Amino acid sequence: MKKVSLAAMLAAGTVALAACGSGSSGSGSDGDIMIGSVHPLTGALAGVGALMNDGAKLAVEDVNADGGIESLDGRKLTLGEGDSKGAADTGQSEAQRLISDGAVALVGTYQSDVTANVSAVAERSRVPLVIDVAVDDSILEQGYKNTFRIQPDATSMGADGADDLIALAEANGKPVETVSYIHIEGAFGQSVFDAFKEQAESQGVQVLKEVTYPGTNFTDATTQVREAAAGNPDVIVATGYYPDQLLVAQAVKALDPDIDALYGVANGAFDDGSFPNDAGAAGENVLSANYHYGATNDEVADIRKRFEAEFGRPMETASVLSYQAVMVIAQALEEAGSDDPEDVRDAIAEIEVEDPLLAFDGPITFDETGQNENATVIVMQTKKGKVEQVFPDEFTTSEPVYPAK
Amino acid sequence: MTALTTERAPSVSSDDPRLKDRSTARTYLALVVLLAVAAVLPFVLDEQTETVAVRTLIFAIMAVGWNLMSGYGGMFSFGHAAFFGIGAYTDAYLLVEHGISPWIAMVVGASISAAAGTLIAFLCLRYRLAGAYFALATFAFAQVFLLVVQNLDFLRRTEGFNVPLLTENSWWMLQFEQGSHFYYWIPLAILGAGLLGTVAYVNSRSGQYVQAVRDDEVAAASLGINVMRVRLVAVAISCAFTSLAGAFYTQYYFFVGPEQAFGSAVSVNAIVPAVIGGIGTVFGPVVGAMVVGPLSEWIATVLREPPPFLEFLQGVTGLDVAVYAALLILIVLFMPKGIYGTLRDRFRS
Repeated sequence: MKKVSLAAMLAAGTVALAACGSGSSGSGSDGDIMIGSVHPLTGALAGVGALMNDGAKLAVEDVNADGGIESLDGRKLTLGEGDSKGAADTGQSEAQRLISDGAVALVGTYQSDVTANVSAVAERSRVPLVIDVAVDDSILEQGYKNTFRIQPDATSMGADGADDLIALAEANGKPVETVSYIHIEGAFGQSVFDAFKEQAESQGVQVLKEVTYPGTNFTDATTQVREAAAGNPDVIVATGYYPDQLLVAQAVKALDPDIDALYGVANGAFDDGSFPNDAGAAGENVLSANYHYGATNDEVADIRKRFEAEFGRPMETASVLSYQAVMVIAQALEEAGSDDPEDVRDAIAEIEVEDPLLAFDGPITFDETGQNENATVIVMQTKKGKVEQVFPDEFTTSEPVYPAK
Repeated sequence: MTALTTERAPSVSSDDPRLKDRSTARTYLALVVLLAVAAVLPFVLDEQTETVAVRTLIFAIMAVGWNLMSGYGGMFSFGHAAFFGIGAYTDAYLLVEHGISPWIAMVVGASISAAAGTLIAFLCLRYRLAGAYFALATFAFAQVFLLVVQNLDFLRRTEGFNVPLLTENSWWMLQFEQGSHFYYWIPLAILGAGLLGTVAYVNSRSGQYVQAVRDDEVAAASLGINVMRVRLVAVAISCAFTSLAGAFYTQYYFFVGPEQAFGSAVSVNAIVPAVIGGIGTVFGPVVGAMVVGPLSEWIATVLREPPPFLEFLQGVTGLDVAVYAALLILIVLFMPKGIYGTLRDRFRS
């Protein structure tokens, strides 16, 4: 008896929970147009996730202040905010929630594994996903038609990073002949390294050593730097995330090997706004090849200024990318003259966004896999406690110091 | 001088009504009712809530699996991610690399998982690890699995597997259009089988033995119970069942990487529902999953459009984590046997 009544209670509880869950409705044909944003707003990545969410929010506000989507009678945009919590399954259910709430397109997600999940949702729901940040090549290798990426992928960052290093050294009369490479274990570090190595060797630069370190419990880079410096390379190249690469910079400073430069490729630390402060003297003159907001672009300067005024924090590159992703969708809505996700998808596939907010080779256009064809990296350098753009010439805010000792 | 009694010893015929196990029959009945009610839920849930329900079912399957070994068997596992992960990766690998049906992959994954679990448990028990040491050892093994997968090329290291999308529904490949109710009914059927199996197992000779061993190992051994064997049986069933949750996870989420499969958070996901609901009870893991699964979604929904008296909380992120933690502490303090376990005891007394 008691167990039966308990079962009934459980059942009632389930129904009650179900009732709690339902609610919000989709946007109507003349209401606001929703763009869904999925970023890690809680958990270890909450800091950068919030910056990106705010970047998308600012873009929506700017579009609305500018009269909304004109081809749709000035309809306004609204941002559906999703929190992936940094977990792939949560990212997926958040994406599904936003789509069932009526989102016509998604932006996100910062992490490659979460993006892999969300892109599958986008594909199955036929709603376009514009990736702001997520680097793994494999995301766009699934043959999906609804996923687009603005930033360069790992492979092109590795290859472009090699090209830029060779050109920069050449231009400063101190050509590179040998490098050693320190990178984090895992798909990200490995694919950037593989592409760098192939490109560098095709231009006659020798990669002496490949030194890897684990992504967790990494507290001291001295061993790795010593090993990398052992072959007397001209340059030490490094790929990884913020905390670990900060350690690499500090270890290079402490050991002071006889190298021309410490050069980051797709490096999460070396061109970050807080790097000069955190690294102190170890950060000075460190070079970094990475995608970056266009510091020479007046529009970017204006957006970043307003962002800081509104949200009280400097707008990092990731956040500019989220802003850009929303703008790509807004332009696609404008060109499609429709808020049907499939029309928006087709418009994004054909889009040409002039004057991107990032320091890229040209307008944002997507190839058939969905990769932005003109995405590339530029070289930055920390000079007197400030991250400056130093190469190539069209983006420079300051002259490079090379050899960067 | 010896007085012999001629009276016969009392005996009970096997069809005596007093020997009928009413409580088990009631449990079966309650289970069937519960499953029947749960089966019609998709017709009243909206799509978003259904995704939460599916996640809840995955939690519940893991917790039911964990409960067999740790609740009834008394061997506290902190490493069930290993077996969830084996299920998830076996499915992903066989499907993506060899085009093998997930149904077959489930059987293969369950077998590998049972074998791996038995081996790990054998090593731990053979060297007399008990209590916290046993838990730590299982945790360590799960971490080893994580590291091994991250460094194996044929398992794509840290990159993970994407399940290829099909253009049409396929039972054989366990893939349906997004929002299909089958994504709910399949794990519900797995869970139902697991719950019925749990009742059958704990009433079986082997299940009774393992509980006896849990309560007093020395006494059980002195009565002739093969302690090692009954424990390993519990472990094997537990690990095999947990791996089914992993295989379904891969099919439902379309992507699995090392962290999703073998991360320590996964082990916690197997433990918490069982602890909250009630360890060593049939319904405990399910009750716990029903609390833990929808909790963060529910709080997030409330915070998105809060009622007037909670308006100051709008836009606050991370509150669900705080509530979750507070709830966990309260339950451990005031309901040490879990929600279901404590309520059951109260009703009985």
